[in-house]
Amino acid sequence: MISNEELLEKLANGFVVETEDDMSEDYRKLLVQTLTITADTELISIFSILDALQYVPTLNRRITELAIIQDELGHAHIAYRLLRLLGVDTDYLIYEREAKDFRNPYLMDLKLNNYAELLTLHALLDRAGYVLLGDVFHHTSYGPWKRALTKVDAEEGFHVRNGESGLRAMVKTAAGRQQVQAAVDWMFIMGLDFFGMPDHLKKRSLQLDFRLKGETNDQMRQRWMKSAVGFLDSIQIQAPVHWDSESDSYVTDFPYPCEWDTDQRRWQLDRPVTWQDVLGRFRTHGPYRREYVEILRRGRESYLALRGGGVA
Amino acid sequence: MVTEDLVWSALETVKDPEVPVSIVALGLINGIALEGSEVAIQVTFTSLGCACMDWIVDDIKAAVGALQEISSVHVDVVWNDPWTKERMTVAARNQLGKWGIQA
Ligand SMILES: [Fe+2]
Ligand SMILES: [Fe+2]
Repeated sequence: MISNEELLEKLANGFVVETEDDMSEDYRKLLVQTLTITADTELISIFSILDALQYVPTLNRRITELAIIQDELGHAHIAYRLLRLLGVDTDYLIYEREAKDFRNPYLMDLKLNNYAELLTLHALLDRAGYVLLGDVFHHTSYGPWKRALTKVDAEEGFHVRNGESGLRAMVKTAAGRQQVQAAVDWMFIMGLDFFGMPDHLKKRSLQLDFRLKGETNDQMRQRWMKSAVGFLDSIQIQAPVHWDSESDSYVTDFPYPCEWDTDQRRWQLDRPVTWQDVLGRFRTHGPYRREYVEILRRGRESYLALRGGGVA
Repeated sequence: MVTEDLVWSALETVKDPEVPVSIVALGLINGIALEGSEVAIQVTFTSLGCACMDWIVDDIKAAVGALQEISSVHVDVVWNDPWTKERMTVAARNQLGKWGIQA
């Protein structure tokens, strides 16, 4: 391990970090934290898709969703594998850690109610993942992750296209269009949350200094909005944001952040909250987290039982 | 007048959803038969479990159906001759390689 100063100087000259010896203590800590959030997000993201398979209208479109689940498990595997390389006990993380300690975003702990919501998940939230991981892909100073992300980037593109193509077909009927708009109304704001605290509330980011990422939260949020709104415009679906030429950026049509009503499963747009409140909601996580983690572990237990019985 | 060339160029614009490469370059089109304003297209997939068969068929119908003077597009899914990776163009193979997919 080396000091922060020494590492920062090397990074300024384009140094690529490969092993733990190349890292400083703080760099390693931040990398482990970032990889854990990524791994947990990829892993827990599959459960709401799995549950929503019941709404997918045709067999082959279900297989498309299964292919996406397989991709996400592959993405999770990459991130956990890198964590193991850094000496982290990933069996503990996946199979023993308390459900509440997973680091995935709030949205992953919910259930989807129809096919429009599943397609919107792909068109908007996989797009958010694409923006976030695309930033890592283009900017990270950690070589092993950068190399692994080539394929992840291509696959996230597929997930987004699946959402877009499905939504394009769905808005052709009035009933379908109404469902899509209803899904976008709440899920777009979940997408805003994905990028975390706004820059002006954050202290200086060591992640940027270490080139673990290249863009700030607000820069990525803006890039996501531009891309998402562009698509939604093309199918004439409203997003709750508009372009503000004065600030040269997208701004929300309502005071953001605002309160999420868990029971009614909708945003209270007239009830602004602070980012401390938002982080509090993230910490208490969503209603199905426990169930999802249980499914994950039951799968392993029954597999081990079968193998013990000589079946698998 | 619709020509076969025109149909092929419409097919060129259809990409495999999983890897954005044209289905023509991937070698998924077994043949086309044009009669007046009606066209029949034979398409195959890389495997029976291909995740995007419906999707690709829908995209073919949309792309070719958008050609003027085409009144109907019929898509036949065929498994003879079966797809092999040799049917891909070199460019398609190289593009897949760049994404970390061995072909
Ligand atoms: Fe993913
Ligand atoms: Fe994805």
